[in-house]
Amino acid sequence: METLLVLLLVQLSVSSGRPYDPAPGIWHGKSEARNLDCSRMSQQRAHELHPGEIPAPPARLANQESDALVCTRRIMSQGERPERDEVILSSLRESVGELAEVASALGQGGLTWHVDAFYPQPEVAAKISVAARTELAEQGRRVSDKVPVLAAGDIVVLGRMAPKDAYPLACKRYFAQRALGENDAFLGIMLIDERETQLHAGLCLKGEWRWLR
Amino acid sequence: MRPALLALTLALVSSPAWAGVSPEVAEAQRAQMEKLRAEVAGQIQLQAYDLLDELVYGWTRQPVFELETPVVLADVTVPVGFGSGLAALIENHFAELVVKNPRTRVTLAHCPQCTAVVVHSGAKGTIVSRGVDQPEALAAAGALSGARHAIFLDFEAEGSALVLRARITSLEPALPIIHARTLTTSTSSAALLRSGDQLKSAAEARKEYLDALQGRGVFTVPLRFAVRSYASPPSAGPIAAMPFIWLQAGAEVALTQARAWTGTFSLGVTWMPQLHTGFMGQARISRLLTGSVASLTQPDLYLFLGGSVISIHGQGARVFRSEVLNLEDVLSDIPSLLIEPHATFAAFPIGLELRVGNRIAASVFLESAPALDTAPSIGTHLNLLGILKFHTVGAEVTFCF
Repeated sequence: METLLVLLLVQLSVSSGRPYDPAPGIWHGKSEARNLDCSRMSQQRAHELHPGEIPAPPARLANQESDALVCTRRIMSQGERPERDEVILSSLRESVGELAEVASALGQGGLTWHVDAFYPQPEVAAKISVAARTELAEQGRRVSDKVPVLAAGDIVVLGRMAPKDAYPLACKRYFAQRALGENDAFLGIMLIDERETQLHAGLCLKGEWRWLR
Repeated sequence: MRPALLALTLALVSSPAWAGVSPEVAEAQRAQMEKLRAEVAGQIQLQAYDLLDELVYGWTRQPVFELETPVVLADVTVPVGFGSGLAALIENHFAELVVKNPRTRVTLAHCPQCTAVVVHSGAKGTIVSRGVDQPEALAAAGALSGARHAIFLDFEAEGSALVLRARITSLEPALPIIHARTLTTSTSSAALLRSGDQLKSAAEARKEYLDALQGRGVFTVPLRFAVRSYASPPSAGPIAAMPFIWLQAGAEVALTQARAWTGTFSLGVTWMPQLHTGFMGQARISRLLTGSVASLTQPDLYLFLGGSVISIHGQGARVFRSEVLNLEDVLSDIPSLLIEPHATFAAFPIGLELRVGNRIAASVFLESAPALDTAPSIGTHLNLLGILKFHTVGAEVTFCF
């Protein structure tokens, strides 16, 4: 009993003066550490973001750059959502932002943008398309919530084709059926292989399909 | 622990053996799963509210519409994996904000058909979709209640950030998006709990937070009521020490702005009629154990170490002396009984203090008084390897001013 108490007091005296260490250790395990989202930044920036928790760098050390590792717990812990969905959703802002930026640069002029996402889970597909529409609208593009649709026969044929052929053909059919006009641009975001975790995108302009990634 | 429990619960839900589980167990497991979901939902609910506050505050500063405009709240989607309960909470909070902030120039319109599945047959065929996706069908049915715009709120958990994507769509055949905004907790301020009828910008809320941090004051005056109980010796002696009740007051200084370290100096007094009068001077230093900054809203746990000088006068001081009078001593030296005994000794407390809002605290401690090792009437509560002996256990209640 006494030995345990001594060990506890020693541990408290050692750990109490140190900042919180996110690395796995006695108090938290590896799984807990994996659920942290950590980024390294300057102490000044960390102090601005977390006043009261991270002190301002001392004035006498103004010339020396000191870092802070800021860790925040992920909202959804690992294992709570399917791994592929988690990877896609965790980086949605970055990945969709990049795709929208590239598409926006290619489709200049007074175009009306339509966006659709092709992903095995409908709820994740909706998240991707909403993110892309919002991103394009915030860039000042004219964006429509309307999604162009093809006839049932077209969908049956396209469903039997490989993705690299199906999407260009779908683009042609959109244009031929006047689901998309001269002043319409269609941004398609999709997962080509169900095993991958990277989103691909293509742009349909005047019946011509162009892969962006 | 939580992921493991959730995974186990989900595995049980999807397991073919589910049918073999008794209804009571199955019901308990479902309840456990719902509890876990509610726990996570509760964690992000405040963040979601904060993003909505930020969104509506932005509309009060830069309204989307020039005139008051009826708008349908068409859809609220929550992060993948969450149920409709969180969506209902978000919807209610958004409605409350819009009602309390008429400067947004947005009026919520009732349109149950907008979110319902609508079947519309026309020259181009039959289309089955949500009402808001077929505004011409809704308009023909007169279901729009005068609204010509729809709001969509989409929340998603992206790593450690909660992201809100809000857009307003004009309910005309082309469904153009006329306003869109993305807000995220990683670039916005932390959950601020701004009141709905007095919205502030993130910058203003941050300034209030900083003022609260800096305005806590460096000095506080603690007033303590303490009870010290001395251990009885292994073999019961002729005199046993009774608990001493102390009243202490002093000054506490925060050694850092975050109140991670504090130092206290206090003076104390104890008095028991006919028995004793005592005085004490004590210095202690405390270290915050729960985090690196004292919380404005949650209790804080401190570890403290100190040093005291205690002086007891009166008959009660006999228990602290190294000699115990027996009948022969009394009879042989009666005059010495007329002199008031006193004992002065040093003591070193170590303890834990739980403090709430820097206003009230409760603490427990052990105290070592090396001078009492030779006192036959005092034992030890805890003996650490024969090196450190704690003779006293105590408890305190502190009020800070």
